[in-house]
Amino acid sequence: MSVSRAASEPAPPRSRLRAERLYLFALPAVLLFVVFIAYPILWVAGQSLYTGNRASETWAGLANYRAVLVDPTFWIVVRNMVLWGAITIPVQMLIGGLLAWFIERHTHGLRGFFRTAFFLPVVTSVSVISLVWVQIYAPYYGIAQAYLARIGITMVSSPIAEPSQAIYALILVNVWQWTGFSMLMYIAGLANLPGEVLDAARVDGASGWRLATGVVVPMLAPATRSLLLLGIIGTLQTFPIVHLMTGGGPNHASEVFGTHIFRQSFVLGDTGQGATLSVIVLLLALALSLVQIAVLGARLAPAKGGA
Amino acid sequence: MTPATRARLRSLTVHAVLFLVLALWMVPQIYMLSVGLRTPAQAFDPALFTWPVTFDNFVMVIRDNPLGRIFLNTLVVTLATVAIVVAASSLFAFAAAVLRLRGVTVLYATLLTTLMVPLASLVLPLAILLRTFGWVNTYWGLIFPYAALGVPFGIVILKAFMEDAPSELFEAARVDGCTAWQTYWHVALPLVRPALVFVAIWQFIVTWNEFFLALIVMTEAEMKTLTIVPMQYSGLYMSNPGALFAVLTLIALPLVLLYIIVQRAFVGGLLAGAVKG
Repeated sequence: MSVSRAASEPAPPRSRLRAERLYLFALPAVLLFVVFIAYPILWVAGQSLYTGNRASETWAGLANYRAVLVDPTFWIVVRNMVLWGAITIPVQMLIGGLLAWFIERHTHGLRGFFRTAFFLPVVTSVSVISLVWVQIYAPYYGIAQAYLARIGITMVSSPIAEPSQAIYALILVNVWQWTGFSMLMYIAGLANLPGEVLDAARVDGASGWRLATGVVVPMLAPATRSLLLLGIIGTLQTFPIVHLMTGGGPNHASEVFGTHIFRQSFVLGDTGQGATLSVIVLLLALALSLVQIAVLGARLAPAKGGA
Repeated sequence: MTPATRARLRSLTVHAVLFLVLALWMVPQIYMLSVGLRTPAQAFDPALFTWPVTFDNFVMVIRDNPLGRIFLNTLVVTLATVAIVVAASSLFAFAAAVLRLRGVTVLYATLLTTLMVPLASLVLPLAILLRTFGWVNTYWGLIFPYAALGVPFGIVILKAFMEDAPSELFEAARVDGCTAWQTYWHVALPLVRPALVFVAIWQFIVTWNEFFLALIVMTEAEMKTLTIVPMQYSGLYMSNPGALFAVLTLIALPLVLLYIIVQRAFVGGLLAGAVKG
């Protein structure tokens, strides 16, 4: 839209030198982008085509990509990332949306208190959260096993030590931490809902479930779309919870892209494989974003429709 | 039952349920504080609360650890990042939304792709780039990458706000003979203040808690930031959960307190339509 405006409405006449100096306004952002985003991306793309460490590298063509794709760990990572996104995103939307609805529509004096309290996990350092949850899940002295035992569920070991449960135990921590963020996005969405529309729907006899599904959910679609996009990017960059709680274990069962890249690049020192994985994550992020924009529309992070 | 009593009953029920959910939601944080307040004998009790409480753990971990230095590192990195993000993104947003310079739209679209770049895919090249610059274990080594990653989000929000501002104000400034810089400083920035505050607070939270890059860039003990020290304490205090949870509480506390202080401005910015594309 800015393009058409710029074309139809020429800038007021000023000397060429002054016009060029105006580009200084854009310079800092562009400089940061070129040095710390664009250059690193080009570098990994190039590096993914070489093998060996940084002292002696040889051209490898697509050999790194082949090696990454035949590695069974890669497919565990893919499965875990799909689970992570498929569980985290909808569950957070559902709980966050319900919280937002009840807090905004049914509380007054305590509204600020609830908004803040449910958001606190987001601002609590993720490394602190991870270690606290390790303790909660711990066998013998953790509170999870103690309280679950009272309702008849026995935990013999920590869920993060069980290959079949580890990823779900980590997803639970992630959902717990970020639900407050979904809540706040929906609160912003609800605040921008025109009250007359809700009242009109009420007058027409829509209430409860019909009001929610027929009127409110569609009108919150922009917030939902933002949460979907942010959820996908967040899923792909998952790292601290997994690194701190399981390190990707036991036996790679809870490995995600972050921990896999970390191990290949910094523990094993295999720059070629690390770079290849980085490129794959980048391409995935780009592809998923493009698909989403193609299917759901071009607006990036809207909380109100048609703005 | 009159409609008024029914409304009151419904309000009571909603509040009761919200408090119940909140109590469940706060269990991890209550547990953290509770274990931090325990004597060594109670530390392994599988219960949410124990009695009596003691502040010995807090006294000990404050005395034994350089938490002040770590806090200071985090503060320096975070404040510098916030300052750069607010400055660079508002300048760019001004160029795109108000000056409408030729080619800036293309630059804008390019910068926006950064929003879709997961940090996990950049840590390896950034680590190598920072080594080349000699910026490993320096504040700049975190500040510049954080700023670069934060600027696009700031631009999206500030550009939308500047486009929504009445254009007659910018026109009037031009007629009055203001330079571009004066228009930016005296007209544009005051107009978008709620959005600036929102961007600054969000950037503060994100930077303060960033883990992955900090883990790789800050390897020397005296340069570490608050998010990466809990790991080493979990080793140090493995047999003493009371001390570990006391130190974790202290690490988490500053940002939680800060958020409680600024939450009104933060939510205010959000409700003013900060996040709308």
